[in-house]
Amino acid sequence: MSETREEQEINDVDLVARTQAGDPRAFDDLVRKYSPRLYGLVYNMTSNHEDTNDLLQDIFAKAYRSIKGFKGKSSFYTWLHTIGTNMTINFLKKRSRTYKMSLDDVDNGIHNDPEFLELTSGPDARREVNLKELQVRLNEAMMKLSNEHRAVVTMFDIQGMPHAEIGKILGISEGTVRSRLFYAHRQLQNYLQEFLVN
Amino acid sequence: MNADIHKLLRLKRYEAPTSDYFERFLDQFNERQRAELLRQPTWSLVWERFVGVFPDFHVPRLAYAGVAAAAVILSAVILLNQQGVTPAGPSFALNDPRPSATVLPSGRGDVRMPVTSRSDFPPHYVLEARPVSYESPYSF
Repeated sequence: MSETREEQEINDVDLVARTQAGDPRAFDDLVRKYSPRLYGLVYNMTSNHEDTNDLLQDIFAKAYRSIKGFKGKSSFYTWLHTIGTNMTINFLKKRSRTYKMSLDDVDNGIHNDPEFLELTSGPDARREVNLKELQVRLNEAMMKLSNEHRAVVTMFDIQGMPHAEIGKILGISEGTVRSRLFYAHRQLQNYLQEFLVN
Repeated sequence: MNADIHKLLRLKRYEAPTSDYFERFLDQFNERQRAELLRQPTWSLVWERFVGVFPDFHVPRLAYAGVAAAAVILSAVILLNQQGVTPAGPSFALNDPRPSATVLPSGRGDVRMPVTSRSDFPPHYVLEARPVSYESPYSF
């Protein structure tokens, strides 16, 4: 049975307290718990597996060094994602414009996804979609957004975070989150017109 | 919200590394942490131990400002002291290395001029009474 949000936070408080008291295994548990989610955040902002791997190492190392200063004013999840987003945006500002995409494989589960099925085989399907081509085009479109807009799209559309949580992580109001999303969607709609059903 | 774009972007969650990636990631992370610990300078380790023993120890907020103010005051005191030691009036005549003229004891007011070698003064090249650097640049 999966933990509720509250149970998760209580569990995190315990793990953080143990880490602060000097138990490194407690931090290992936090790394195990949050690395897949944080990986998704960084990967979808960089479109590069190797960069994501290096950044993820740096983010957890920074979190470990700073954890004594974590006072629990926000959830550990929010705190960690704030570190992750800031470090990724700083990295992207310095990264060369001539970088190459290095994409992960697409999980086979996508073939059973109703949204993918609707896109590829429904009555409104505009064209037969090549999965690899779709992946590349989605990543290219994402990389055309500014870092700040891409962060909001990644957290809301891909990771399914609520507006309020995104606002806390980025230190902006919910209104700003919504306006960034609106603007980013409009841009993406232009880039991805050929894949949109309606 | 644009629902179609949202649906399309949701498909990106299927992009994922291989299943054993995250276990390897934790091992790499622990290796790196150990390597960094070995590279850490001694003072940093001593400080960490100190903070570990006294977890509530904090450098007071105004300590840095206090140290900066003390440094400024100390520098000002040293500068003022140095100015106090320096003799008043122009000092360039005392320091002139060139030999001065002397009156000979002949009673006729003879004066012996000092002998200076060319090497005592830096060469001063002048072309048509104008320093070289004032010549107009070449133009073609």
